[in-house]
Amino acid sequence: MTAFVLASVLGILFAAGTFLLLRRDLLRVVWGVTILSQAANVYLVTIGGIVEPSADSVPVLAGHGEHAPHTTDPLVQALVLTAIVISFAMTAFALVLTYRVYQEHHTLDLTTLGGEP
Amino acid sequence: MLVALLSIVATLGTRRRLGTQIALSVAGALAYAGTVLAIVWRVVFSPTASAATYQLGGWPAPFGITLVADALSAFMLSMVAVVGCAALVFSVGYMTPDEQRVFYHPLFHCLLLGVSGAFLTGDLFNLFVWFEVMLLSSYVFVAFYGRKKHTRAAFWYVVLNLVGSVVMLVAIGGLYSVTGTLNMADMARRLADPAAFGIGVEAVVGLSALLFAVFALKAGLVPFQFWVPSAYRAAPLPVTALLAGVTKKVGLYAIVRLYFTVFGATRLSVSIPGVGGDSLLAFYGAVLFALATASVLVGGLGALSAGELEGVFAYSSISQIGFISIPLAIGAASSTPAIHRLAVLAALVYALNHALAKGTLFLAAGTVRSAVGTSRLRDLGGIASRSPALAGVFFVAALALVGIPPLSGFFGKLLVFDVALRAEATFGLALLLGGTGLTIAYTTRVWNRAFWGTQTPAVSASSPNRLQLAVVVALAACIVAVGLGFDPIYRFADAAASAAIDRGAYVDAVGLTGGEGA
Repeated sequence: MTAFVLASVLGILFAAGTFLLLRRDLLRVVWGVTILSQAANVYLVTIGGIVEPSADSVPVLAGHGEHAPHTTDPLVQALVLTAIVISFAMTAFALVLTYRVYQEHHTLDLTTLGGEP
Repeated sequence: MLVALLSIVATLGTRRRLGTQIALSVAGALAYAGTVLAIVWRVVFSPTASAATYQLGGWPAPFGITLVADALSAFMLSMVAVVGCAALVFSVGYMTPDEQRVFYHPLFHCLLLGVSGAFLTGDLFNLFVWFEVMLLSSYVFVAFYGRKKHTRAAFWYVVLNLVGSVVMLVAIGGLYSVTGTLNMADMARRLADPAAFGIGVEAVVGLSALLFAVFALKAGLVPFQFWVPSAYRAAPLPVTALLAGVTKKVGLYAIVRLYFTVFGATRLSVSIPGVGGDSLLAFYGAVLFALATASVLVGGLGALSAGELEGVFAYSSISQIGFISIPLAIGAASSTPAIHRLAVLAALVYALNHALAKGTLFLAAGTVRSAVGTSRLRDLGGIASRSPALAGVFFVAALALVGIPPLSGFFGKLLVFDVALRAEATFGLALLLGGTGLTIAYTTRVWNRAFWGTQTPAVSASSPNRLQLAVVVALAACIVAVGLGFDPIYRFADAAASAAIDRGAYVDAVGLTGGEGA
């Protein structure tokens, strides 16, 4: 059940991101990119299911004694953390750039900006 | 890498005192080159040469982050070192003090850091991270001047690459879930024997195709080429030299590394008309060939119609990337390991030539621009009589691009033709000849318009900057030196190509056992 919900949420996120990406408004494009990267992050999280812990998959458990709780794949979480930080930085940069484009061109409409820069 | 990182910190710390900052920055670049030289010696030329690995944090290979310096990485790194140093020294003379004052030098080193990280990492996810490090600094450079066309070019560039990053992230995540590892050596080992590890090969094909699209985007192969000209025209010229000469090669490096070393082991029967072979590589051979064909033609024609020096060179680098990919495509499509090796060898030598020649050309364009004040072909003319040295540099680099002996380009072209002949790829051969014709056409056009003919008023009032001229002359000398003393370069590239093909050695170097010798 969760798998279905997650899958459809992912689908909706990707679709929304792509839709926004194709809009004429620059700000919407940035939103689209943000949503897309968010979708990718969610997708990454879904990869790691809850598994029996072992020192093979989770090396830190080797020094954890006998009783280890069930864990998700920690690697995936680490990856998502990194990816979130990166996409956060990129979004910030894209927003600043959008502001700058607005300052220079006084418009955020892609058709007015023209195709070939 | 550590050196580049130190340079970032050092240049950040001294941003108020420009003189110190420049001195530190140049020293950092030289130290970087020295480190690369040490790596090259250690990995390729020393009597006990072997790939060097470093496990970050001391965790053993499949878990920890691995840095691998084998001959392939070393080859790419040495390219970075040469072009990077030249571009940095050049930019000291090219950029105005105001432009250099705050962030230029730290960012430059950040770019170097990202590129070398991407070349050295042995881990798929870290490849993504280093790509981002590299891209983030290049975004800033594309938007550097902050005027109308720059912001617009930067916006395209940023959005495209962000989408590329998302796709890459998805592909990497998928590969992780399919193969259960992110370490490239481990992945190669598992993919060589998919049944034993319970891997569905079909999923790998799809995911690696996604990754392939991303790398083609970074390399600027044709359906993904549209960001190249505007971004290159917008960035400061020394940085463009680095972008065209080196950053693009990261995409190619990733293709070579992943598709020859990692995915190449996967056996899969391909049943596309006109494509034979039982390896994943054969599929990519066909795809890459189509992309390369389009790149050569579009790039060449674009260069013929561009109106500025930078425009010509930007389109020309699209076409040259096509040239570099052709041997890779031919090699991938064939099934004999000997041709694989030769193909990678040809591509590497050609890539080296392109890095040197295109770096020189962009820097020469920078010299023209800062001396004359414009780089529009319409306003140029007679530079040859005004500054013979500059014209000579352009002449040498253009000839290297065309592939005239005894310059470095000749060997690149020779090897590429050799691969095409041996693999009996008739169409590839015809394409190479046609592409070379286009190269001759657009370099001649630039030469006739800008360097010969009567001097325009702007040109006769100009005098090129000494430091800039010295750098481009040194680079041109490099081209000649590579061409004349080609033997060690050949051995180096040969070692790099073997390293790219020899999956078993790569797996062993990382410290995993069970790699099959290829």
